Amino acid sequence: MVKKLYQWVAILMASGIISCYPKGADLVEELDLVYTNHDANFNFAGAHKYAIPDSVVEITGDVFNDPDGNHRPQFMPAATGDIILKAINDNMTASGWTRVGVNSSPDVLMLVSSMTTTNLYWYYDWYYWYWWYGGWYGWYYPCCYYPMYVTGYRSGSVMTQMVDATTTQPGSENAKVVWNMVLNGLAEGGTTNIATRVQSGVAQAFAQSPYLKH
Amino acid sequence: MKKIFPLLLFIFCAPQLFAQHGSSFGLTYSISFPMGDLHDYTTKTSFRGFEMEYNYHIQPHISLGVETGWNTFYERVEKKTYTDGTASITGVQYRYTNAVPILATGRYIKTGSGKAEPFVGLGIGTLYVDRATDFGLYRISSDAWQFCVRPELGVILKSGRGVAGLISAKYYYAFDTDNLSGQPYLSLNIGLLWGE
Repeated sequence: MVKKLYQWVAILMASGIISCYPKGADLVEELDLVYTNHDANFNFAGAHKYAIPDSVVEITGDVFNDPDGNHRPQFMPAATGDIILKAINDNMTASGWTRVGVNSSPDVLMLVSSMTTTNLYWYYDWYYWYWWYGGWYGWYYPCCYYPMYVTGYRSGSVMTQMVDATTTQPGSENAKVVWNMVLNGLAEGGTTNIATRVQSGVAQAFAQSPYLKH
Repeated sequence: MKKIFPLLLFIFCAPQLFAQHGSSFGLTYSISFPMGDLHDYTTKTSFRGFEMEYNYHIQPHISLGVETGWNTFYERVEKKTYTDGTASITGVQYRYTNAVPILATGRYIKTGSGKAEPFVGLGIGTLYVDRATDFGLYRISSDAWQFCVRPELGVILKSGRGVAGLISAKYYYAFDTDNLSGQPYLSLNIGLLWGE
C-alpha cells in the first residue's frame, strides 16, 4: 500500500513537470520582428530628400512575372498600402527628411514592398521597380553589411530598401542599398490590428536607426 | 509525447526493480538556479525539474551509482533591440534550455549518526544541453553534450521502513563545447530514496 502511494507520487511528479512545460507567445504581435541594417559608410547626415512611390509593390517571387505584359507588378490594395506608406512618410518627416518627386533629384529612393512567403527575397528581380524608376540590373549591399536571410514559416513581411539615388541612376548597373527595414510577423489579424502593428513596427525601425535622424 | 511514456514506466517500475538489499533508488523534485553563461541566457530560477539516481553500496557508507534527470529553464524576454554591427533587430524572445545530466556517481555517507545521515558526493559524466530561442516566427537552436563534474552535499532522513527522505544540493559544472559555453547550474533537491 505504502509502495503504491510512493509510485503515485512519482507519477504525479513526472506528469506535473511535463504539464508545466513553458509555453511561448499567446498574441500575434508577440511574434513581430523589426529588422534594420545600414551601410555605415553612407553619409546619412548629408541626405535630406527622398522619393517614394504611391504604391506598395507585392513581391510574388524572386523573378518578376508579368503575365499581362504591362510591365507593372502587383500592388498591395491601396487601403493597406496607404497605411504602410503613411507610417513611413510620417517617420521620415519626423526625422527631418523632405519628400520630393522622383524626378526632383532625390538623395535616396524608398522602395516599399510586401510579401507573404516562406522566404525573404532580398535579391528579387529589379523589374518590380521598372514602372517607377526605369530599373537597374540588380541590387548590391556595400561592404560589410548584408541583409538578413530567413526562411521558414509562411509569414508576412513589409520590406523597405533605401537606395542611394545619387549613385544609382536609371539603367545603371546595380542599386546601392544603404538602409533596409523588414517588419516580419504572422499575416494574421484584422485590418485594424495589422495597421497598429505596422505603425508600431515602422516607428520602432526608425527608433533603432538613429542615424536617419537629422 | 511518445518519449514520456517510457519515462513514466521507468519511474513507476524503478523503485521495485532497484530497491533491493545493498542498493537504493532515489527520485527528487529539483529547483535549479542558472549560473555562469546559463544565467546570462536565462536569469530565472527553474521550478521544472526532477532527478533520478541509483546507488549500489560497496560499503555501508560508500555507494557508487548513476544519475540522470531533467531541468527546464525558461524566460520570456520582453521586447528588446539586439544590435550586431550595423544590424538591429527588435522583438520578444522566448528562451528555453533543457538540461539532462547523465552521470556516474559516488557518495560517502556518514552512517551511524542517527536518523539523519549527511553525505558528500561527486558525479562525473555528461550534461546534455538543448537551447532554443524563439524570436518572432523563427527558432534559433543549438545543443551540446558537455563534460560535467557535479559535487553534492546532502542528507538522508531514515524512516526505518525501507524508504528515506532525501535532501541535497548539487552543483553541475559543465565545460565549454565548440558551439556552446558551459551551462552550469545549482540544484536543490527534495524527494525519496527507496531501499535505505
